[in-house]
Amino acid sequence: MTLNPSVLLIVLLGIGFPMAFTQSIVANTVVCCIALLYLITHHANLKTIGLVTLVSLPLALGTGWSFIAFGTGDVWQQAWLQVSRLFAYLYLGMTLTLTTKVKEMLLSFVLHLHLSPTFAYGLLAAFNLLPRIQRQVKIIRYSANLRGITYHLWQPQLYFKAILSAIQWSDDLAQGMASHGFSEGFPRTMTYQDKLPKWQWLLAGLLILIYLLLSLFL
Amino acid sequence: MTKLAVENFSFRYREDGPEDLKQINWAPTPGSFNLLIGSSGSGKSTLLKAMTGLLPQFGGAITTGQITLDDLPIATVAPFERAKRFALLFQNPSRQFAMATPADQITFALENIQTDASLIPEQVATALAAVDISTLANQKLMTLSGGEKQKVALATILALGSEYILLDEPFANVDPHARHELMHLLKTLQIEYGKTIIVADHDFSGYTTLVDEVYQLSNHQLTQTDASVLNACITANPFFPAPSRNNLSPLALIDVRIDMAGRNLLQSANFALPAGQLGLLSGVNGSGKSTLFAAITHQRSYQGTITWQGQDSQKIKLKQWAQLVGLVFQDALDQFVALTVADELTLSQQHSHLPDYWTDARIQRTLTQLDLAEHTNANVYQLSGGQQKKLQVLSMLIMGQPVLLLDEPLAGLDMDSMHQVLDLIQTSLRDNQMSALMISHQRIGLKPYVDYEISLHERHLDTGGTQ
Repeated sequence: MTLNPSVLLIVLLGIGFPMAFTQSIVANTVVCCIALLYLITHHANLKTIGLVTLVSLPLALGTGWSFIAFGTGDVWQQAWLQVSRLFAYLYLGMTLTLTTKVKEMLLSFVLHLHLSPTFAYGLLAAFNLLPRIQRQVKIIRYSANLRGITYHLWQPQLYFKAILSAIQWSDDLAQGMASHGFSEGFPRTMTYQDKLPKWQWLLAGLLILIYLLLSLFL
Repeated sequence: MTKLAVENFSFRYREDGPEDLKQINWAPTPGSFNLLIGSSGSGKSTLLKAMTGLLPQFGGAITTGQITLDDLPIATVAPFERAKRFALLFQNPSRQFAMATPADQITFALENIQTDASLIPEQVATALAAVDISTLANQKLMTLSGGEKQKVALATILALGSEYILLDEPFANVDPHARHELMHLLKTLQIEYGKTIIVADHDFSGYTTLVDEVYQLSNHQLTQTDASVLNACITANPFFPAPSRNNLSPLALIDVRIDMAGRNLLQSANFALPAGQLGLLSGVNGSGKSTLFAAITHQRSYQGTITWQGQDSQKIKLKQWAQLVGLVFQDALDQFVALTVADELTLSQQHSHLPDYWTDARIQRTLTQLDLAEHTNANVYQLSGGQQKKLQVLSMLIMGQPVLLLDEPLAGLDMDSMHQVLDLIQTSLRDNQMSALMISHQRIGLKPYVDYEISLHERHLDTGGTQ
């Protein structure tokens, strides 16, 4: 079964928020397992999952180590809690980002969660600009080279110019959208339609409830 | 029929600045084909944006008068109601789309004007077919050529059903073939669909038989002129000789081959750049001229060898390579490193290869020649398109790399500005024995400046000059 992006977001928030306060390693591990299972059954890119896990491993170790080294009380319990929490957040987030397209996600939020269309289309346009921003950073570095200057990736000037370009684009884009009839605060037709049967909301509520019970009693 | 009227309209961008438009009166005849001419910076874009309600919504202020749509001030009409009556096609084709594909973009526009959802797919298909790009429906917009993007923009406007189609230099990034095609498409829209067409352009070629009325903006004021001004500037395309084979610059291409997205763009190009001359690189849009420049400047991969004094240029680090081969970008904003005109020039002067030539006095003199002297403290982002081009070319000439590649340095320049820029390029090349290769769709008026021509034609680099 495939969950609607809006339902996934509610599950994400419903579990993610209490997760920041709960102390249950078991609950976090269960979240990790279910999230991974969902990812695998929905053909999420295994390479991406592996890479994200690999990159966050040293961060998790660092966090865990700092609790063992500097914590008080049951330091091992604290360390494992932090590590399991980190991965639970990671996999939970990926259930949304790796299984849905940005466009489907944003338009689903507009349909079911009352997200403003201005925000959704603005964000969508920004996502469509991402490859251009990468190219722009390359151009900015080269144009500096042409003038005898070198911008390194850590230099703020590089990003200052990138932001300037982005502001320029955003203004052009806003004008383009207005010229194509996009009007803030007015009704518009939505051709995008998706399935959201009622049971998915029930399932979301159930998942959140189970997490709360697990984290309270285990 | 909608009535669009400009009444005694004055406008300025900056509160303390001069008026950018002065007391304009204009009520375009419904169903007519209008050409709006005027030098760069004369306010053509400003007028068109004001007529479509984008200004003052996106900056500036009206000082007198108003623009009305069926006798209502345009600002009181919601964008989706405006779009059904008139739409603007922008100069830069890649910056007007919010969505990723042509079909998505047109769907988005139709949703905005609250078209019934069940009718949208058919209307999208009809609009794409009307401009003959049905096959591009689901291609990524980023991968389309300039001409194709403008067709998508035109299809969107058609789908919206706008009665007035305003176009702001729509052919600036479009090859002559696509330009011709688009111009006749506009004429068809006028005749068969009864659209009112308003095009701002300063390349007059091809308009004589199309236009009904010609308007001119000069000194920020609008006057109607007769179509004879169009003929005055049209002369036959000049011919240019083949490049000389002696006295060569250090740069040469040996068996260079370029592929793009699995498609071969250039087959085995061999060429040695002549020294101290200005060459023209011609070829229709999408033939790979800019891509060839990107290869020469090491901004993209290629096969074969590009040599510098007989050595493989790949052995030279990009930082050093950028000091041997300079590039004037197609988009002026890509060039600028500083914020103001003065800073931009100072920066070039500090790193110049020709510090003795580019003295303060010479730069000042050049700025006066280019009509930029009054703008030294201006923000580069606020200059007009033409002024940006001039500043861009000057900045790179001051840098003085031994070889300079110029990608469309004349795009968007009126005749006077074009001659100013070409004079400047020619003088700098001669005085400093620099070599340059220039891409330009504009051919008229180049005769006194261009020494030779090479052209990209069907994946071959033709170095035989114009036959």
